[in-house]
Amino acid sequence: NRGARRARDIRAGSTGTKNATHHRQYNKNSSAHIRSTLQKQQSLPVRPIIPLVARMSDQNASGAPPMTVREKSRLDKFKQLLASPNTDLEELRKHSWSGIPREVRPITWRLLSGYLPANKERRELVLKRKRDEYFGFIEQYYHSRTDEHYKDTYRQIHIDIPRTNPLIPLFQQPVVQEVFERILFIWAIRHPASGYVQGINDLVTPFFVVFLSEFVNVENFEVAALPLDTRRNIEADSFWCMSKLLDGIQDNYTFAQPGIQNKVKALEELVSRIDEDIHNHFKRYEVEYLQFAFRWMNNLLMRELPLRCTIRLWDTYQAEAEGFSHFHLYVCSAFLIEWRKEILSMVDFQGLLMLLQNLPTIHWGNEEVGLLLAEAYRLKYMFADAPSHYKR
Amino acid sequence: MAGGSVFECKEYLFKVLVIGELGVGKTSIIKRYVHQLFSQHYRATIGVDFALKVINWDSKTLVRLQLWDIAGQERFGNMTRVYYKEAVGAFVVFDVTRGSTFEAVSKWKHDLDSKVKLANGNPIPSVLLANKCDQKKESSNNTALMDNFCKETGFLGWFETSAKDNINVDEAARFLVENILANDKGLPYEESNGDRIKLDQETVAAESKSGCC
Repeated sequence: NRGARRARDIRAGSTGTKNATHHRQYNKNSSAHIRSTLQKQQSLPVRPIIPLVARMSDQNASGAPPMTVREKSRLDKFKQLLASPNTDLEELRKHSWSGIPREVRPITWRLLSGYLPANKERRELVLKRKRDEYFGFIEQYYHSRTDEHYKDTYRQIHIDIPRTNPLIPLFQQPVVQEVFERILFIWAIRHPASGYVQGINDLVTPFFVVFLSEFVNVENFEVAALPLDTRRNIEADSFWCMSKLLDGIQDNYTFAQPGIQNKVKALEELVSRIDEDIHNHFKRYEVEYLQFAFRWMNNLLMRELPLRCTIRLWDTYQAEAEGFSHFHLYVCSAFLIEWRKEILSMVDFQGLLMLLQNLPTIHWGNEEVGLLLAEAYRLKYMFADAPSHYKR
Repeated sequence: MAGGSVFECKEYLFKVLVIGELGVGKTSIIKRYVHQLFSQHYRATIGVDFALKVINWDSKTLVRLQLWDIAGQERFGNMTRVYYKEAVGAFVVFDVTRGSTFEAVSKWKHDLDSKVKLANGNPIPSVLLANKCDQKKESSNNTALMDNFCKETGFLGWFETSAKDNINVDEAARFLVENILANDKGLPYEESNGDRIKLDQETVAAESKSGCC
């Protein structure tokens, strides 16, 4: 509770805890602007463009304060694990749970997603083989996007790409949009049980940004200026890591989206046990969980959080067993309860839905995500292993 | 607190659906209508988005339109049934620059009529929107064809709209609301009660500031 209050203080820009001070000073100029735009946000059709949106990779991007001793020793631990001839994945997960240092995030994500082998010697070879395999698919299938059978799929992807992260200039670069089109088209035709489903386009983004960040400062860079080989590697790695992620949540996107239906039901059940007030409040104003949580499941909260927060969130999702499928449910519960006060003060259906679809997280960073994850972890241990313990 | 004039003010709450293929401009039409704005930067709608438009219909009537902006790729199973529940009007939108989105109109209309009905069993009033008319290439006059299509498919009428240039969006909405109100008034109070929510005095008094009555 104290933690939550602290997070709120930070968000409100008040002075306080020591480790957040630096970050707050860094953002001081924008915070007044943020506050004034936040007040208007509910009536605004689009989120305003503010400096923080562009700072997408994470809070420790260049220009951030120098590393603390603790951060330095964490980074050393990662480097040590990664340098070992056989990376101890269990150990790597354990350390990744509370966030992966930016410098080692690309390789750590490749390992945790199961794309790269733990054996260091084999990595180069596997990378080469998988990258070749992906471009083999492109050669073999990408021309079929104009075929009668696939043209609808391609058209849907083509319409959705320019509107993926429309406010971040990186994603408006033609070269980047072409990368996304290829990744999504190949994935869709290789997974006919789901095909392309809106929302999957968002899921490529974190991988692309993280793998790109290995080479350039992603905030402001012309991707076309990168060597072709580098671009191809980023594309292939993004494809494979996204495929691994989707393998774990495929029933979210198959016919009738059963994975999502089940998760929304599970969320409702969980909230009814964790916070009866919110649950009854929704009942009273006829708010159904599906009306807001469908998107939370379908896009893994990516629509509700700034991209930098999603990247931090995925550090943990990849460190947790079944992070994207199971643990996500607890994160959604914690996320909902985070807005308890705002929810309970809203006393009509429209107000509630518009609040729930425009939650003011635009200024969130690592701190807030860390607290959210800690709360989700607590809920998981209180409620998952003793499902009937708290039942009335 | 409640003066005589306030007492006579009638308030309506109508749930209106906006449906049609992906990328035809459903969200843009709603943003134009509700916020008088246009942007190229809307993200694809996932599931359903909500918006509210308050209309001072006349000196005695306040209408709240609860707009349900339904994802264009909403084609999976029974999800639309959940969203359509208790709707009293609908816009079906297509993109004049993409013929395939017009071909899908009948499919959407059929989906709508099969899943939601008025209390008297009639289909809910619906209006067809031919959006992005600012980008129309040829100026061919197919008014007769469209009129006929509407008649056959059961639309009240159709409008060429442009969310970008603000063409006919208000007009189309007004046309739909007129028809919804006519339906509502045509029914005995008990039956239409589900569509009409009478707010308590306090709310009505507060709202009266906004110009009603």
